[in-house]
Amino acid sequence: MGVRINGEELTFVPMMSVADLIAQRKIRPESAVVEYNGALLARDKWEATVLKENDALEILSFVGGG
Amino acid sequence: MDDPLIIAGQIIRNRFFLGTGKFASYELMREAIIASRAHIVTVALRRVDAHFPQDNILEYIPKDCIVMANTSGARNADEAVRIARIARAAGCGEWIKIEVIPDNKYLLPDNAETIRATEVLAKEGFIVMPYVNPDLADARRLTDAGAASVMPLGAPIGTNKGVCMRELIKILVQEIKLPIVVDAGIGRPSHAAEAMELGAAAVLANTAVATAEDPVLTAQALSMAVEAGRIAYRAGVVMPKDKAEASSPLTGFLR
Repeated sequence: MGVRINGEELTFVPMMSVADLIAQRKIRPESAVVEYNGALLARDKWEATVLKENDALEILSFVGGG
Repeated sequence: MDDPLIIAGQIIRNRFFLGTGKFASYELMREAIIASRAHIVTVALRRVDAHFPQDNILEYIPKDCIVMANTSGARNADEAVRIARIARAAGCGEWIKIEVIPDNKYLLPDNAETIRATEVLAKEGFIVMPYVNPDLADARRLTDAGAASVMPLGAPIGTNKGVCMRELIKILVQEIKLPIVVDAGIGRPSHAAEAMELGAAAVLANTAVATAEDPVLTAQALSMAVEAGRIAYRAGVVMPKDKAEASSPLTGFLR
């Protein structure tokens, strides 16, 4: 088992924090909203939250919409 | 202001609301917001596409605007509630436009699911602005559920067909105490004015502005039409008649 990030199943667990993951994916942290296992993860918790097995992450951002 | 729009106890400076989708750039969107003087603007929440890093849209929205997240992408009440909670937790405030759309062809909303989501979110303190098919019984249910307004569609999203639901919207205006905001289908200033003449409290448009040749000018034109339509409604504009009625004296010339 691995982790699920934005619907994509990874078969392994990247040994990194949410903050590292955001940086690795070149996502602008100031515009990202992270839902971690069904609950919003505050930005000041990204560093301390290390990915573990069966985690589900949604990395979202506000976009244009009507 | 002698005719303020009040929603959930807050004075809304402009009866024209602007959606932020489909603009060619965030700079252009910002210019259109400023030109329209919109006080309420909508945004959506989506998965980040790591291949296309984008600026933070919120930085381009003037600070004195109310940013109202929508729940677009939700196919049922549970998803709408989830999106609303994330949007608020992410700092988007209490205003939420509920949009529950299970149908991809006409993008028509699901009223029953929308009512369900309204009940949940109103209890959690959201200012709930539900986007619905214009139906009197459902508008009453939304009122009971704690909605802050009712937002009936004029025509399906992005069709620019105008106030096709005219007669049903008129009934909502007459029977529902909440502000009626005509959302979707508004393609041109004359449509916006028509909605306001019917007694709508406000109009929300997006496609008409974002896809116009000149979005900034279009934003301004729509906003002015909303204002003109509102003034006409308050003035009690005259109704059409079947027979002619002379504007000049009916006596013949020199007789």
